This record gives sequence, C-alpha cells and structure tokens, in this order.
Amino acid sequence: MHSEVGTTLAEALRDELSLTGTKVACAEGHCGACTVLIDGVPTLSCITLVHTVGDAKVTTIEGLRDHPMVHAFVREDALQCGFCTPGQIVSAVALVDATPKPSTEEIRHAMAGNLCRCGAYPKIEEAIRTWQD
Amino acid sequence: MARLIRTEKEVEGRYEEVWLVVEEDALEQWPAGPREIVGRPATRIDGLERARGEAVYTADLKLPGMLHTAVLRSPYAHARVARIDLAPALALPGVHAAIGPGELDVLVEECGFQGVAVAAVCADTYAQARAALAAIEVDFEQLEVLIDPDEAVARGELIGEPRVRERGDLERGLAEADVVVTGEYRTQVVLHNSMETHQAVVQWLGDSLEVYISTQYIWGVRDEVSSSLGLPPDKVRVVCHYMGGGFGSKNEAGDFTFIAIELAKRTHRPVRCALTRREENLASGNRNATIQRLTIGARADGTLTALGGDYVNATGWGGWSSPVEGPMQMLYACENVKTTTWAAKINQPPMKAFRAPGFVEGTFGLESLLDVLAAKLDIDPLELRRHNYATNDAADGRPYSSKNLLECYRRAEPHWERRHEVRARSTETVKRGVGMASQIWYGGGGPPSYAWVRVGADGRATVVTAMQDIGTGTRTAMAQIAAEELGIPLAHVTVSLGDSARGPFASISAGSSTTPSMGPAVRAAAADARRQIEEIAEQRGTPDAPLGEIVGLLEDAQILGKGGRGPNPTGMQVLTFGVQVAEVAVDVETGEIWVDRIAAVHDVGRVINPLGASSQIEGGIIQGIGHTLSEHRLHDPRTGQILTTSLDAYKLPTFADVPEIVSELIDEPDMQLTNLGSKGLGEPPIVPVAAAISNAIRDATGAEVHELPISREEMLRALRAAALKEKVGAPAGI
Amino acid sequence: MELRRASSLELDGGTPLHGGTELVPLLRSGIVQAETLVDIRGVVPRGIDGSTIGAGATLAELECDPQIPDALREACRLAASPQLRNVGSLGGNLLQSTRCWYWRLKWPCRLHRTSDGFGEECFAQEGEHREHAIFENGFCASAHPSDVAAALVALGATLRTNRRELPVADLYRLPSEDDRRTTTLEPGELLLSVELPQTDRSVYLKAMDRKSWGFPLVGVAAARTEGETRVALAGVAPIPWLLEGSLDDATPLPRNAYKVDVARALVKRAVSSLEAS
Repeated sequence: MHSEVGTTLAEALRDELSLTGTKVACAEGHCGACTVLIDGVPTLSCITLVHTVGDAKVTTIEGLRDHPMVHAFVREDALQCGFCTPGQIVSAVALVDATPKPSTEEIRHAMAGNLCRCGAYPKIEEAIRTWQD
Repeated sequence: MARLIRTEKEVEGRYEEVWLVVEEDALEQWPAGPREIVGRPATRIDGLERARGEAVYTADLKLPGMLHTAVLRSPYAHARVARIDLAPALALPGVHAAIGPGELDVLVEECGFQGVAVAAVCADTYAQARAALAAIEVDFEQLEVLIDPDEAVARGELIGEPRVRERGDLERGLAEADVVVTGEYRTQVVLHNSMETHQAVVQWLGDSLEVYISTQYIWGVRDEVSSSLGLPPDKVRVVCHYMGGGFGSKNEAGDFTFIAIELAKRTHRPVRCALTRREENLASGNRNATIQRLTIGARADGTLTALGGDYVNATGWGGWSSPVEGPMQMLYACENVKTTTWAAKINQPPMKAFRAPGFVEGTFGLESLLDVLAAKLDIDPLELRRHNYATNDAADGRPYSSKNLLECYRRAEPHWERRHEVRARSTETVKRGVGMASQIWYGGGGPPSYAWVRVGADGRATVVTAMQDIGTGTRTAMAQIAAEELGIPLAHVTVSLGDSARGPFASISAGSSTTPSMGPAVRAAAADARRQIEEIAEQRGTPDAPLGEIVGLLEDAQILGKGGRGPNPTGMQVLTFGVQVAEVAVDVETGEIWVDRIAAVHDVGRVINPLGASSQIEGGIIQGIGHTLSEHRLHDPRTGQILTTSLDAYKLPTFADVPEIVSELIDEPDMQLTNLGSKGLGEPPIVPVAAAISNAIRDATGAEVHELPISREEMLRALRAAALKEKVGAPAGI
Repeated sequence: MELRRASSLELDGGTPLHGGTELVPLLRSGIVQAETLVDIRGVVPRGIDGSTIGAGATLAELECDPQIPDALREACRLAASPQLRNVGSLGGNLLQSTRCWYWRLKWPCRLHRTSDGFGEECFAQEGEHREHAIFENGFCASAHPSDVAAALVALGATLRTNRRELPVADLYRLPSEDDRRTTTLEPGELLLSVELPQTDRSVYLKAMDRKSWGFPLVGVAAARTEGETRVALAGVAPIPWLLEGSLDDATPLPRNAYKVDVARALVKRAVSSLEAS
C-alpha cells in the first residue's frame, strides 16, 4: 500500500488494487454497498481507514465469487441494477457463516444496513433462505 | 417495406408529433399464454457478472492517464457569483485545468438553485481535485429566494403556461351532484438516489469523442453532445454496458458530461466527472412536490358527475410540468372534468422524471378523495370504481388498444375481502385496515427502435442493438424473445448492447417503454434471420431440417437478420392498468405505521419474463413505500438550502420496511399492439402505492391523511382531526 | 495526517480513533481536523465481565450478550445499521455528535467554531427542526442521538475514564454561551469502561422514521430497581435526557410537537411494561 494516511479501505481496494467489485455509493457509511469482511465481520470499507486494517484478513466479493450465495442471488433474481449486490452478498455470506439457516427476522435484522434502491429485498431474502439449494 | 408516417410519440406522459420511417410489422402475434421460452421465468443472463462484481460500471472504469474532476456548486438557492479566481486552484499539485462561468454553458454566474455548477477542476487524483476546489476564491452575492410554490404562482413565476384541460362543464357537473367532496393534498420532494451516482468518463481520440456514461439513453446523450459541440453524431460514441439505476434521472447528458468533455479537451487526457452522493441529491433531479386542490361531485348512486383539480407542480428552477392531473383526466368515466396545472418556478433544484412522474402524486390525491366520497355515499370503494369504469379513453374518447382493469378488479377481490378479517384483528392501540387504489399509466412504447440478430455456424445467436439495460432485465427479455422466435435454447443467445458504435438506434429506457419498443424489433430481426435460414433449407430440399443443421453449413458465413419496431395502432390509446390492495396497521398513540401486505394486480399485456416482472413489481412497490412513509427531501424554510443530502438523513426503505408482496399479472397480449402485445412494467407498480396505503389508514382509523410522507406528525395530526370531528359531529370531508 | 497505534493511555495530543464510524466521516467532511490519529483499540478494554463493560466493546457484541440488561441490549440492537454496530464501540457511541443537519452541513451554528469564536445562531430554531429537541432547546436545539446513552442514564451506570469515575449522566452538559461543549470530557481523557448497577428490569423503546437504521425521533429507556423507576430519553434534548419532571414541561418547536405525543406514549408503555412484568 502506498496510500496516504486518511485513505479508506474502499479507495485502496478500488484505486490501488483495481478490485472494483466493491462498490462505493455514498462514501460516508450509510448505504452498505462497500461492505467487505474484515476477519469475517461485515465492515463498511468506505469509512475504514486502510492503515487501521493491519494484519487482519480482508475478504471482498472477489474472494467470494464461487460462493453458493452468488448463485443463489442469480437463481432467485435477487438483483436488479446490481450496484449494491456485491455488498449484499458479502453481508449475506457473513450471516450464513454464523447462522446457516437464518429466520426471516434474522435475515431482515442482519441485512438492514445494505440499501437497495431497486427494491430487490424480497428476492434477496429468498436467496439467503435457499442459499444451500 | 419502409413507410413514412406522422405519429404521436409519448414518453413519461409527454407527447410530441414526429415524422418517422417505420417498418411494417408483418408478424402475427404469438398465441396468448406462455411459450417455450417467452412467458416463462428466466434468470438474468447478466446476473452472474453483476453478482460477482465483475460487471464494469462507469464508476469502475479507469482509462490510462485519466484525470478526476471536482465541481464547485452553488451553496445557495439564489445567488450571483460576484467574484471568482481559479488561479489558486491551478497552482496546487496535480491540478491540470480549471474552468469557470463563461467558459462552458453549464457553468453559471447566476445561480437559481443550490447545486448548480459554477466551476470545475481536474487533477491526477480526486483528493487533489477536491483540495483545488477548496482553493478557488469565490464570493457569492446572495439574492432573495422564492421557494413557496403558491407564492410563485401568485407572482406569475411559472415554467410555461398553466395547462388547462377541460371537457364538459365542471359547474354543471357539480350542480348535478348529490354529494360533493373536496380535499387538499400535498406531496413532498423525493430523490432518485440511484446507487451509482451520475457520472461520465470521456476521452477525445483525434476529432472523435468517447463518452462512457451511466445513462438511460445512449442515443439521447449522443444527440445532446454532438449538437452542443457541433460534431457529426457519428463522431460521438456513447457507451453504457452496466449502470447502477436511474429511475428517470438519467435520461439526459447532464452538466458532469459537458464538464468532463471540456476538461478532456483542454488537458488532452481522459477525464472522469462523478457526482458525490451529496451532489447527487442536489443536482441530479427529483420528483417535485405538488399541491392538489381537488373536488369530486357524484350522484347518490356513485356516478361521477364532476372532477375538478387545481394542481401546482413545485417544479424548481427548471424542468417540466409533470402530468399530475393525468389520473383525474384519465382514470374514470366522467363527463365534466376541468384541471389546471401550474409549474411554479422556484429556487429549488429542477425536477426530472421519476418513475411515473405526476401519476404517483396525482393518484395519491384522486384515489384518496375517492375513498372519502365512497364513505360519504356508503358505497364499497371497489364498487365505486367499477361503477365509473371508463370503456373508452376518458379524456378524448379514443378506444383503448386493450384494457383489462375489470379483470384486475376481479382478481383483487380475494385480497379486498380480507378487510373484514384484518379489521377484526385491531386492538385498542393498533388499528388495522385495508385500502385499495387503481392504477393508470402509459407504457406502450413506440418506434423507432431497431435490432440485428446474427446467427453463426454453431447455431447460436447474438442480438445486437445499441440499447441499455438499466437493471430492469432488458438483456434477458430480449434474449428470450430472440430464442423463442429462432427456436433455440435461451442459453444459446447472447445480447450485445450498450454502445452507440456497435448496433442500431434503440429507444430510451424510460417511460416503461423498453420492452414494448425494443421487444418487437428484436422479434422482427430474429424472424428475419429465421426466414433466411428457412429459405436455405428450402433450397436444399430439406424444408423441415432443424436450424442447427442448416446453419451448420455456414462455416464463417453468418445469417444477419434485421428488424424494426412497427407503428403504434392508429387512433388508439395504449395504456397500462392495475389495482393494488394494501393492509396496514397504525399505532394510534405513536403514529407508527406498518404496511403488512400489498397485493398488486396489473395489466401490461403479454408478460415476457414472469420472474423479472415480479421483481419489477416488488421494486416499484418498495420504492412507493419509501415515498409514502419515510422519504422526504427537507430544506431550510428561510434560505431554501437542502438539508437531507446524505443517506442517514434521507431515509430510503431498508430490508425491515418490506411488507409481504403478492403480485399477479393478467398476461393477456394487447392484440392491437405490435407483434408481441407487450406493454411496459417499470412504472405501473409504483403508481397506486401511496393511495392504497392512505386508504388503508383511513379504513383502519378513520383518519384522513393529506400529506406525503405520512410521517409521525402527519399521522398524529390526521388522528387528532378525526377524533375532533367525531366529537363535534362535523360532516365528513374537509 | 499520521496514524499510530496507542501503546498506553497517554495520547500526547493525538485524536483517538476506535471504530471510526463517527470520526472518519467527520474527518472527511472537514468538521474535525486532526494531525495525528491514535488507534486506541489496543489499549481500551473491550471485554464484558458481569456488570463491567469495556468501552471498546462493540454494539454488535452487546446486542446479543445475555448478561446485558434489556434496555442496553435493545438500545444496541435498535441503533444504527449492522455494519456500524459491528465496529462502533460503546465509548464511541456515547461520544457521538448530534445528527442536526445544520451542524452536519457545517452551518456556522452555536456549536461550531468560526474564524472568531463560535457561531451566534441556532439555525434549527427558526428553520427545519422536525427531528430536533423538545427540552432545553433555547440555546441549541440539537437532539442527542445516542440510544445507548439514554439506556445507560436510565440504568444509572457509571463511567470509568483514565482520569476519573463519574455517572454517565455527568458525561454530558448542556452547551451554553460560555462553554459550547456537550460533554465534560477533557483533552486526553479516554472512556475505559462502564459499570452497571444492579437493576431489576429495564426496557428500551424507540420511534424512527423507518423500521431500522434510523436515529431516534424519540427513544425511551426505563429501568426499575427496588420499586423505583428511572426514565431517560434519546432524541429529545441536546444531551441524553433524564426525565425527572413531566413531559408537560417540554418546550417543543412549531414542527416537532409530535415528539411530545410520541414520548408520552412510549414512556407510558415502558413504565407499565416494567410494572407488569
């Protein structure tokens, strides 16, 4: 990493490493599009300073491309424009890692920080419910 | 055979008369109902690359040597740039160019709204551009602001002339009425908030220009840019392979594109200009606020005798006057109708089309007041709507190309019937109820639109057309149509789109027009290819040979089919219809509202992809719930400055706000419309949401809601008003 | 700007950074300036040990820990969004700034420094204030957004810092002409842990504009110990508001009187739920 202090993890991923699967939609921690896993925990990369990440393991959508959740999203039509989708999938993967068969309530609670303006929520819920199929 | 016709072209409820060269549409429609591929659920053919983060959006594009732009926008609602000095910005590290008022049309000295572009800087990095922006020395002279739409109308500060639409005699209709109800309804400013903000990356290649842009209309951007720069259109290439939502806000090129073009010209470098979220919520358009003063007169049996509406569009500093009166003009049979619509020019950011502009707002007012009438007449709201059903276009008497609203009402009955059971579950503090509202909107599309279909020796086909998929699943629907017509598996069709240099003209992705405009062109192109293959088979003396066998002979040769969108049926009105039934719960002490369930039944002709269609319906309803309950762009009442530009303050619906959604489509092809009989579905689902919810609230509590959003304060106000009315025994209505 | 990891509780004038959910956006929007950021995650306790909670514990950890009293657990569960709760710390939550849009948009209000001192106006009072304070809004009408702080005030929690121990309520002060601060935190002072006294029952109720991911229009925390009930509110005053008098004492602004109705209903429910159980 060559970036200056103050650079966010999202900027480092996208601009320095060209890992553009992580999207930035608000750049101030409000929408969840930039969600990545830091040591398995869904984290907003747009308000995480890259210099605070240290040795922690960062997982982006690029690291989850073959995860069954990706296919569940496609199968259930759980995306429309697709811009929030990588962040949705990252949050969903963390949820099912901890709770393989989450209830509707658990899905809604865990996913409430990932905004989708197209309104794919019902089908995202279905994708998470059926990700192992 | 090509034919020159004069035809009416409609986008978002705005009509213009145009001369068009159209191809006759010689194909017979397919029989109604699901086919092998069309009419059956298909997953998105571009789903995987979007889900895996591989799809390259404009936001992801990085060209060698690309510079980044920051734009200075007016912080004031009304101001004049008294002095500006760009020199300090130019002196900073990494800065390549800076431009200000007078150097480009979109950079202004007179600022009529907060967010209008004044100056721009480009630098090696975005951070450098931001730092340079802060270094620009600028003094604004603040001017008096006009932000009250009624005051603007009183002062004659209007955009265009007031729009008066009249049939029959309103006064006579009111005199004939046994009951008259009136109401004032207000709707708020809502913001599109596409997840990908407005942005463009441009580069000059010699005297040609490449524009990569997040857009709903590649060809519109090409026209705007080429005419503005005086370039031949073919010198401008516009590319949009993937885009992160538009909802009507991305129909035009926008200031950011012209800024990038100018800076690229000056620096001889590719330039990106992207709006931040906060800029997006100032300068990329909005659904404007409205004030609606409505009157309905009816006979005791429910027959509407008079509909009157005075509508004020709080349009902003620019934009156009959305058809907020459309539902009153079009939804019901009524002989005496008069509406007047003013577009107030105020110091607020200009409106842009937003998913059924005008009709979302107008349906809220009309359908809310219609339920007040139903209560006063003691007629079931569904029966009242059936009683006033329009069999020909209510506004001008033209026949509909097709209308299955009665069938929608019939299929809504089981959902409507639930109201007794729902109400019975009310408690002392949580009241439950059911409400309904009808939907009317355009969505017929039209010519011109073209497609090519290429079939190779491997028996696979590629649809080539320079349209865009804004997230609605257009790629998939077009592939289904081509596969169906060619008789090959869906997986054997790819779709090449998103590039004005690679494919023929295609329609705007707005106004629910993409499928009805493009679908018939794609089918015609596929049919052209199929006919050629059949001709080869005939020549070989094997007329019944499968497609694969014939094209297998091609080697490097290809079958090239081309197709165009035929004209719309002459003298007919092409519209979409539907009804929604909402179930809500209201906490009468805290004003909290839960939308528990929405059932939607819509009539949009033939359904191409039921899976994608249900996603469109769900998305429209959820956006509608945001517009109804939580979204509100607030401004400072003294200065007009916008206060809710970030997504903590501007409240989009989250996962937790989503009700149970049940959707159904009539799936009856419009026999008059094209070779497909399909209409658009992008907008219809959002139209009746607010009215259905407000009517359900009334059913639950007796409280009449008059403003969107139905915030805690509006809900508690309505409850207080209802309680007071009950106490003093005041008559219904206001 | 530079960033270093704290090796002790002495920050040498640096700006402490924990989860960053508040500080990073404020830095990037220029509301906060810092030359040196000090990552304090290594030195602030984060464990939960019976009634003692490290200030570095995240809201996500607290929302699912059965040792935590209901009011605090529910306040955490209903706060912010999942990703923000995942890294946002208890201490950081208590020290968050108001969501007042005028303040966040850097209008030169009474809480913002200007070139010569502080601003001289509260823009919300005459402006748009539907989300603002209904108590003590005469000088600054901002509303305190912390669900967690209201819960801790109701629970009667105490704070331990690297300098002192104090009731949570004493962390806060109403801004005034002479002193614009909203907390009593001193330069270099770090929140280290929260001590929860024994309570019998507690509850947190929250009104938002949407069902999740919203700051409180009104949040009501109530805790009952030995027959005594303490009620504290979020979103109704420039600081977490211990309700000692009546809601009739509220002084709402023209466009936020609804908050009094909402608060009245939620307080009634919170108190009666504690008495009933």
